Amino acid sequence: MTRSKVGAAVRGAVATAFITSLLSTSALAAPPVDLSKWSPEYVKSVAGTKDFDTAADCAKVTPLDYKGRVTLWYQGVFEGDPDILRQNYKEFFEAFRKTYPNIVLEDQGITYNDLLDKFRTALLGNAAPMVVRLQILGGTEFAAKGYLQPLKPEDIGYTSEDFWPGAMKAVTWDGVTYGVPTNNETMGFIWNADIFKRAGLDPEKPPATWDDVVKYSKQIHDKLGISGYGLVARKNAGNTPYRFMPQLWAYGGGVFDEASPDPTYKEVELGSAQSKAALQASYDMYVRDKSVPVSALTNQQADNQPLFLAGQLGMMISHPSDYNVMLDLQKKATGADAEKAQTVIDNMRYGLIPAGPDGKRAVVFGGSNIHILKPEYVDGGKVDEPAAKALICMWTSPEWSLKLAWVGSNPGNLNGFLTKWMKTRLETTPFLDVTTSMLPYGVPFPALPESPEIMNIIVPDMLQNALTGAMTVDQSADDAAKKVKDLMAGGGL
Amino acid sequence: MTTATGRAEPSRTTPRGEPGALRAMWQHRVDYAYVLPSIVVMLIVIAYPIYYTIDLSFYKTPPSLQLRDKIFVGMENYTAILSSDVFWRVTWNTVVWTVGSTVFSFMLGFGAALALHRDFFGRGVMRAILIIPWVISAVAASYIWKWIYHSDFGVIGAVLVGLGITSRPPNFIDNVDTVLPALIVVNIWREFPFAMIMMMAGLQTVPDQLLRAAKVDGANTWQRFWHVTFPHLSSVSTVTILLLAVSNFNSFIIPWIMTGGGPSNASHIWITHIYELAFGRQRWGVASAYSVLLFLILMTLGYFYVRALGGNESKDRGT
Repeated sequence: MTRSKVGAAVRGAVATAFITSLLSTSALAAPPVDLSKWSPEYVKSVAGTKDFDTAADCAKVTPLDYKGRVTLWYQGVFEGDPDILRQNYKEFFEAFRKTYPNIVLEDQGITYNDLLDKFRTALLGNAAPMVVRLQILGGTEFAAKGYLQPLKPEDIGYTSEDFWPGAMKAVTWDGVTYGVPTNNETMGFIWNADIFKRAGLDPEKPPATWDDVVKYSKQIHDKLGISGYGLVARKNAGNTPYRFMPQLWAYGGGVFDEASPDPTYKEVELGSAQSKAALQASYDMYVRDKSVPVSALTNQQADNQPLFLAGQLGMMISHPSDYNVMLDLQKKATGADAEKAQTVIDNMRYGLIPAGPDGKRAVVFGGSNIHILKPEYVDGGKVDEPAAKALICMWTSPEWSLKLAWVGSNPGNLNGFLTKWMKTRLETTPFLDVTTSMLPYGVPFPALPESPEIMNIIVPDMLQNALTGAMTVDQSADDAAKKVKDLMAGGGL
Repeated sequence: MTTATGRAEPSRTTPRGEPGALRAMWQHRVDYAYVLPSIVVMLIVIAYPIYYTIDLSFYKTPPSLQLRDKIFVGMENYTAILSSDVFWRVTWNTVVWTVGSTVFSFMLGFGAALALHRDFFGRGVMRAILIIPWVISAVAASYIWKWIYHSDFGVIGAVLVGLGITSRPPNFIDNVDTVLPALIVVNIWREFPFAMIMMMAGLQTVPDQLLRAAKVDGANTWQRFWHVTFPHLSSVSTVTILLLAVSNFNSFIIPWIMTGGGPSNASHIWITHIYELAFGRQRWGVASAYSVLLFLILMTLGYFYVRALGGNESKDRGT
């Protein structure tokens, strides 16, 4: 799909959805970008219109000659990320040490799937770092438990309106803000135009609905003998909810009512007919049509990437960064493999994630937030607040919240869209407009302490129970609904 | 060793609990002082965690509360575990995993030891090669086997499809029926060298003259093995089997890395399930109750292990 087509297709809906999203928050102050005009064209038009001096801005929070020490754990780069992101992280830490030469920074990057476990364990032994950058799913749990210090954008020189309203909801527990969003992401839909063509599908037209995904996946598999859609159903892997929840919401289902503008999280919806329809679609692809990778139950997205590059997978949900990942992987290939990989890269297309039967489109509003721990849970029993705030100020600045989300995400700080680096990013990163176009359809995970268990264990278990035949679709959805109810009531195994 | 007290060896016949025992302890006070640091460390790193785990097993730990705010629920965690379908499924998986891995690792290891006990050209090289699975990292091995088994692009699948034996790669680890046997095969591959080494050491102790005498008496190969070799290996076999059983009961790396206990809990064994309950779901209380049950089972195995060792010592002393 071309950029103009994407823009034309989404402009109206995007603006409406965004206004709704905005009105559902208390944010009445003007954000730095006009959310009512949100479209790929608008994003391009505002890029490069404002200059920021990160060091000068952060100096107002913590003097640049401040002497101190800060420890940081962050959900960092992992095997599925492109090399450019590794480089940007390296540059950020170099820049921080140069800007604050007297602050000793001890940083530790931990992968998405390991961070929560490790952080929880450290907290039990009062051995946590002073600052932690967590996936959006995790913050509420630790805020509810009282591990985090209240921290809002105003504490580090920004305003709450500088950040996505949905992201601010994810760092708020019981009316108190406990962190600052670093980046926010919505994924897009990727397909291989060459595979589409060979399977008799329109190479430039992605599936419009999830029912089409099921149909296209079958057609690709039947005609070419390869996997159609890159289903992911591994347990304890962040990739699974990021790929299944958009499907669940599009069919009108949900764990609770998280896809509604003002969620209450009171009623469990996993057992609803709509949720079962979404699960049935996965079942149809995996069991009935056998049109997706058999290894979906043990794989994650990092396993789908080489399949896609090898021309063995027709469609998948992912970030724009997958384009860069493909380029990285292609560089490592040799001979005929390299040529084949290049063909796949040339045929990569990005579009909006398909809608449900009634036109409802949704995507996980993901990302990460950064938090400061209470001293009693920190290794050594002390938190150097000025040093911690200096670090957070730099990380969430327009400059670095953009650069650290270069290809896989979007800046948490909306001012990032105005920077000259955003302009460069748009010029150098293909398909970025698709993911920015998906942002208004973003649905945050339920802001509940139980969310990690629901998303990382109960939802994947539901998928696995249905896909392995351990339970029927109805039984597995009902079983998952019961588990969520038990969990919310404080019980259950 | 002579102690600093320089006193006579205490009487072994002093009944425990009588004043003589105290006197003996007093006479050995320097010996006790020597081992005291170890005892203190053991208390800190073993006794306290055991106490804490038992204590925690009587509490509920909801995800919204810190551990210090845990709620006392008495035996509820134990009853919840014992009445849970998952518990029985995981227990069955654990039994299959432990027994399957132990028996086949032992048999394969024993067979390899017997083969390598004979003198032949290249025996040293063979021995070195067969030890490789045991010395390489379990984490690395798990990732390699995951790709060997891969349900779409695994090596085994590619070979079978290439030879025209199957039209689609076999589904080893994404299938609830085959996943556990597939993991057991990996575990056997990794553990049999340990059994092989143990049994090779045991074979060195079989007296040659007995084997020769049996041969002179007309015993065939099987009879020499069954009536001479095997009885001499009973103690080392028992110890090897017990060590393998304990190790398998405690296995974590292979099932966790290869499948994470899935699909649909089909490869969850106790240890992986406890890990998921504790660190993935923060059910510290339930996980502790599971751990207590596991502890009791392992202690029972440990008891038999110590008894087996005691039996060996008695035999060695000829008593």
